Amino acid sequence: MSDPARVQAPAVEVSEVSKRFRLELNRPTSVKEAMLRLGRRDVRHLWALRDISLTIDGGAFFGLVGHNGSGKSTLLRLMAGIHRPTTGSITARGRLSALLELGSGFHPELTGRENVFLNGAMLGLGRQQMAAAMDDIIEFSGVGDQIDAPVKIYSSGMYMRLGFSVAVNVEPEILLVDEVIAVGDEEFQQRCLHHMEKLRSGGTTIVLVSHDAALVRRLCDRVGWLDGGQLRAVGDPDEVLDSYLRQSSDAGDAQSDLS
Amino acid sequence: MLVRSFAERETKALYKRNMLGWLWSLLKPLTTVAVYSLVFGVIYRAAAPSTANGQAEVFALYLFSGLVVWNVFYAIVNGSMRWMDGVSDLRKKIFFPTETALIGGAAATLLQSSLEALVLVIIMGAMANLSWTLVFLPVAMVLAAMFALGLGFAAAIVNARYRDIQHLTAILLSVGFFMVPIVYTPDIVPDRAYGLPVARIVELNPLNAIIAVARDAVYFLETPEVADLAIACAWAISVFAAGLAFFRRRSMAISEEP
Repeated sequence: MSDPARVQAPAVEVSEVSKRFRLELNRPTSVKEAMLRLGRRDVRHLWALRDISLTIDGGAFFGLVGHNGSGKSTLLRLMAGIHRPTTGSITARGRLSALLELGSGFHPELTGRENVFLNGAMLGLGRQQMAAAMDDIIEFSGVGDQIDAPVKIYSSGMYMRLGFSVAVNVEPEILLVDEVIAVGDEEFQQRCLHHMEKLRSGGTTIVLVSHDAALVRRLCDRVGWLDGGQLRAVGDPDEVLDSYLRQSSDAGDAQSDLS
Repeated sequence: MLVRSFAERETKALYKRNMLGWLWSLLKPLTTVAVYSLVFGVIYRAAAPSTANGQAEVFALYLFSGLVVWNVFYAIVNGSMRWMDGVSDLRKKIFFPTETALIGGAAATLLQSSLEALVLVIIMGAMANLSWTLVFLPVAMVLAAMFALGLGFAAAIVNARYRDIQHLTAILLSVGFFMVPIVYTPDIVPDRAYGLPVARIVELNPLNAIIAVARDAVYFLETPEVADLAIACAWAISVFAAGLAFFRRRSMAISEEP
């Protein structure tokens, strides 16, 4: 950690970010409907994140914890550039690879191999670079000959393994991972964790979203806790996770009292 | 790079499961040429102007030389909405500039159309009606593609929200086909009809200039008129730029919809 080469500029900077989603119940899906329902629209706004400021240093393994709907995934999507913040700004420096959900970024009609190239292109990697990484990707995913079959016939496990395999084998400078590793079997999970640790020691900044406090404690060197769209705490994993777990069990007790 | 991936995908999706492969894509335009030639050339006895070498007054070829450009336009405007839908799920999971999917689709369309153009050129060659002016044919096709893509960008955005736009577009396109001199020659259009300046309307249609360039290039074998080229370029570039700007501003919001 004290290696000066590793002390870099922040990899991800989140400053005063809020995100509002526009939700419309029964949104008209045709011009005809829109005209019929003129002036009678039920539009609501949902603040998924409020005023988040956060700096993730280069080379860090950052964990994000929080309950369902706390805004973890939204924050990760903002970092990945899929969504744009309503206010505030997010800067990510370096090639960013994101694994946000099962089989993210795959086109069902294309074969596994074609999808690898497509994903590579989205990350700004050329065909040659992807061709060079192809063997590693196939090997790591364990998809085997099925790499030339359309991904729509893949099992969910294969989908996920190939997705993970692409995300980690493109030499990302920033890797965003959302819970996905929980899907694979024990053996694959271990391989994923091992690979993430390897990437991390190679200088990759990793942001991991998870419910699994034990996993986060084991892997991360800094943790942020999101609660109701706000950043409750950020810092040392043990401290943050302890108060997160305490709050969770309190909430759990409160709930069981009610029932 | 990404554009290429999408273009390949479009090409493969079309022909992968098809034994006739690329030949299949020729069937539709050739049928169109045959049917319109029958109706307008044979039944209505529409006269085509003579080609450069004065040998032929083949209505089918006059029609075909305009149709090549129209097909580019039609396929891209229609395809844009489909290409947009094709990547909307993907775009919710990974960031990439969504316009690349439409540009890739348009590139694939141009590739297919070039086959059509090749057939036209081969027929013209068989009739010894060829000249260096041929180089303007691809120019016209690219201009038509840019013009179409500009409109396609806008249509794709609106259609993502209001699904009936694709039906409306289909209607407008079928009207549009008869608003340009493809199945008729510009000189038979009356100045006024039903109180409307018909000739003026046809003349002002941006596609008119683009088709005129293509026809000069491959049918009359004349250097396209500078005015036509200028008008065609101006429309193609400005509509493309405006469409792209609109698309970039709005596409983010669409990928955020649940």
